[in-house]
Amino acid sequence: MHSTRYIYTFVLIMTTVVAVVLAGMNTFLKPIHQANEAVFNKRAVLKSVKGTAAVDALSDEEVVAEFKNVTQMVVNMNGDTFNPEQVKAARNFKDKPGMAEDLDLAKEKKKDEKDRLHPLYVFDNGGKKTYVTAVRGSGLWDEIWGYIALDADKNTIVGTSFDHKGETPGLGAEIKDNPTFPLSFVGKKIRNTKGEFVSVLVKKGGADKTNLHAVDGISGATVTCDGVTEMLERGLKYYEPALAKK
Amino acid sequence: MAETAVQEKEPLFGKKERKLLTDPLDSNNPVTVQVLGICSALAVTTLTFKALVMSVAVVFVCGFAALITSLLRNMIPSQVRMIVQLVIIAGLVTIVELSLKALNYPVYKDLSVFIGLIITNCIVMGRLEAFSLANKPWRSFLDGIGNGLGYGLILIIIAVIREIFGKGTLMAGSPFGQFNIIGASNETMSYMINTAAEGSWFSWYTNNGLMVLPASSMFIIGIIIWVQRSWNKELVDIS
Amino acid sequence: MEALNLFLKAAFVENMVLAYFLGMCSYLAVSKTIKTAFGLGLAVIFVLGITMPINWLINEYLLSDTGIFGMDLTFLRFILFIAVIASMVQLVEMVIEKFSPSLYNSLGIFLPLITVNCAILGGSLFMVSREYSFGNSVAFGMGSGFGWFLAIIAIAAIREKIRYSNVPPALRGLGMAFIITGLMGMAFMSLMGIDLGV
Repeated sequence: MHSTRYIYTFVLIMTTVVAVVLAGMNTFLKPIHQANEAVFNKRAVLKSVKGTAAVDALSDEEVVAEFKNVTQMVVNMNGDTFNPEQVKAARNFKDKPGMAEDLDLAKEKKKDEKDRLHPLYVFDNGGKKTYVTAVRGSGLWDEIWGYIALDADKNTIVGTSFDHKGETPGLGAEIKDNPTFPLSFVGKKIRNTKGEFVSVLVKKGGADKTNLHAVDGISGATVTCDGVTEMLERGLKYYEPALAKK
Repeated sequence: MAETAVQEKEPLFGKKERKLLTDPLDSNNPVTVQVLGICSALAVTTLTFKALVMSVAVVFVCGFAALITSLLRNMIPSQVRMIVQLVIIAGLVTIVELSLKALNYPVYKDLSVFIGLIITNCIVMGRLEAFSLANKPWRSFLDGIGNGLGYGLILIIIAVIREIFGKGTLMAGSPFGQFNIIGASNETMSYMINTAAEGSWFSWYTNNGLMVLPASSMFIIGIIIWVQRSWNKELVDIS
Repeated sequence: MEALNLFLKAAFVENMVLAYFLGMCSYLAVSKTIKTAFGLGLAVIFVLGITMPINWLINEYLLSDTGIFGMDLTFLRFILFIAVIASMVQLVEMVIEKFSPSLYNSLGIFLPLITVNCAILGGSLFMVSREYSFGNSVAFGMGSGFGWFLAIIAIAAIREKIRYSNVPPALRGLGMAFIITGLMGMAFMSLMGIDLGV
């Protein structure tokens, strides 16, 4: 048996050593992590506009170069826009410039809806504009999120990309792994013929091909698909005022 | 399960040391004999590539956690040994995580949840409790590596079966590309109705939805145990 | 009422073992007889029921940016949760060793391994990501523990009976336990559609 004092000293030294090693490694690798993460997020945005395969073929440098042509805006639910200085002040960013891509949507989701800031990316393709909105919700196990690219009419979906934290591989994870799922949204409309907002439904058991407001669900992944439906409805609605002002 | 401490001096790679490495592959396999690490065997075995990365990570964590614990074995107060072991394991797992994050970010993103699961993978802590606390560092290290390999072997067997029959592919999602083995091509896999597509050998095959459910790995492990015990009669459970 | 529904949901609809396949190792290894299964089941109920509220308090008052440190310390969540669980298990181990040495011996290595029973850490992480209130976290912890307890009793009962059946020798014991669990899991999948409103 060891004395109580020995136990405390041992645990203290042990934890300090581990903490120092990990903190050192973290500081050393942090620049690489941040660069990797930035490129990863840029890819996700680009995928919603250009498609997964085309973006996967680009090198990291090409992704960064491509992203320079994108106008980044930060908006709230009233459609007010914020410049980088305001974002930086509002979110206490120290080493980030306060662009749309710097926002951590996981943290924004926890705030009251009226206090949230959301990114809005505008691609200008020879005068034809594409708006990319960011949505975030919950799947079966954990968070799911995605980027929805809307055409210049702010109604027709031209592309989507989804990701998740821990959905079941082969079931819920198919929203990301299966290339046909994001593609099935292309051409769907978020407004009905009267111009009212209706969002797009992920329908269990399959959707009618002519239905402009529904896509096929993934069999066996009902909770994840319901999560996507909820995320789209709430997330896209959030952008309504901002899109209306553009 | 508790091994007794080995006293006599042995060469670096004597018979006993080799046994430490090879035993966990068959007669003392962590999954099928010691019943350790089942949860992660269910979670990461839908894709072979994930199972492969997971195995490499577990071999690393298992080996070095055993080495460090064994070096400290006379200093660790028994009242707090679990917390100490977990700090060691969690530290090593974080090292794996940080390295992967810097080396290959997309793979890290895909696997970050599962890498975290290594902390609660009972193989690591099970071997620390059963072996490393009572044995010399070199042997503990070999025991850790051996058990990591034994775990990886089972993991990859399950993953290959589940991926081929559940998705029709092999090594999907890996940086080396994937092979379409049977059934539908990747473009349509397991999405609504699996329509047979070109590009695979047996395109008439419809992917088996059961294989993507966690329950299927229970059946596969059951069958692996059956096969293993049919030829290794010593393991048969008489009770 | 909400807490009761959550208890039922955690115990049956989202059973840790049979719906999520968490906490498998000790479940399979200690389910040979009902007696040991009962002991371990009680230990798991206790550990889950205690760690869940403690981890809730830690997460709310230590780790979140509205807590006493006033900064976001969530990256420490994993290690702190595990530390709480480990100390609780160590406590349980000491108590069992003192009061029931026979149970202590029959549980063997699987008593300390409750620490790495993924059902317990998994439960705490679910609680955080689902943003339960304090009362609900207690109900969820007790419910998950109770569900785990029921599952291990059920498989132990089946395994005690199946011993008298003519199973191929190589499949006896563990092999059969895996297959039965797979079947039970598929049966429990049908409960997943029940909506208790929580």
